[in-house]
Amino acid sequence: MKTEIRMPRLNADMKDGMLARWNKQTGDAVQQGEILCEIETDKVVSEIEASCSGTVAQLCAQEGDRVPVGQVIAVVEG
Amino acid sequence: MERKPAWLKVTYNQQEVEQIAGMMQAMGLHTVCREANCPNMGECYKKHTATFMILGSRCTRNCRFCNVTHGRPEPVDPAEPQHVADAAKALGLRHVVVTCVTRDDLPDGGAGQFAATISAIRRTVPGATVEVLISDMQGRTDSLDTVIAAGPDVINHNLETVPQLYAQVRPQAVYQRSLDVLRYVKQKAPHILTKTGIMVGLGETDEQIYALMRDVRAVGCDILTIGQYLQPSERHVALQAYITPEKFAEYKQKGEEMGFRYVASGPLVRSSYKAQEALRGL
Repeated sequence: MKTEIRMPRLNADMKDGMLARWNKQTGDAVQQGEILCEIETDKVVSEIEASCSGTVAQLCAQEGDRVPVGQVIAVVEG
Repeated sequence: MERKPAWLKVTYNQQEVEQIAGMMQAMGLHTVCREANCPNMGECYKKHTATFMILGSRCTRNCRFCNVTHGRPEPVDPAEPQHVADAAKALGLRHVVVTCVTRDDLPDGGAGQFAATISAIRRTVPGATVEVLISDMQGRTDSLDTVIAAGPDVINHNLETVPQLYAQVRPQAVYQRSLDVLRYVKQKAPHILTKTGIMVGLGETDEQIYALMRDVRAVGCDILTIGQYLQPSERHVALQAYITPEKFAEYKQKGEEMGFRYVASGPLVRSSYKAQEALRGL
């Protein structure tokens, strides 16, 4: 089953976030709760925990990209 | 966007946040975690803890550092105190922190709603400790008496910044009035722990911070929190500096030397962050 990971709304006013760092690459195994990536917003850098376990099938944004809230940033298959 | 220092990093689990946020919404409750865009929300919600914000979601003041919405306030909800208590019970809280929007429109500044909330928590979650983070209630001692009479374990009132920056940061507040609130509570109810908090990184000097700390000790305040100011948006007062963890450690040491019973000082410290640990540490 494929699960789309979307840019989370980290605060009420957030419209987009900067993908600061990927902690996993395409093909890597990921466990639910593991840090998938880091997203920078106005106040802080948030380490985003994976919401499911599986294998990273696709990274849809590059480090440094500003991504709107709700847009798919990765696909996990598992 | 300027890159954030490495120490300004938090964890976030969307499912945990949505679960708590959904519960609050269903009960018609507000949290300062969400309204103020607190960076610790993910961590606190994951631990099933939150700081309730009563008296609505719109503040009658417009402090330049704060993300809470300024505007015409909502009518006071008589069901709110019990809803807070029910949510605290559902979350399994052993230490309940309640704050508010400032309500200069209410004759009692919202003191009655605080008292009702404290009583509801006492009835509904027996054994839990209660901390209230109050506004200055315009310095009215009758309002403060109402809160004191309800018997919270901790009364917190934040000074927020050094007096030299009040005009820019907190223009509708008065430094001396806030100090007087802390002084009055301690004089009237020495058994209640008093607490205050400030933000740093707004351009204050070390000497201004230490002078504030001396003022706060002089009114008998027990607990001090010091955290990094984080600018919510470009509309808010500008961030001047990221303070290093080493500098925060210096502030903590200085505060302990001055005789505070507890000092929490760190980049992500907020007035209610790990408040239970602070209380247990005494």
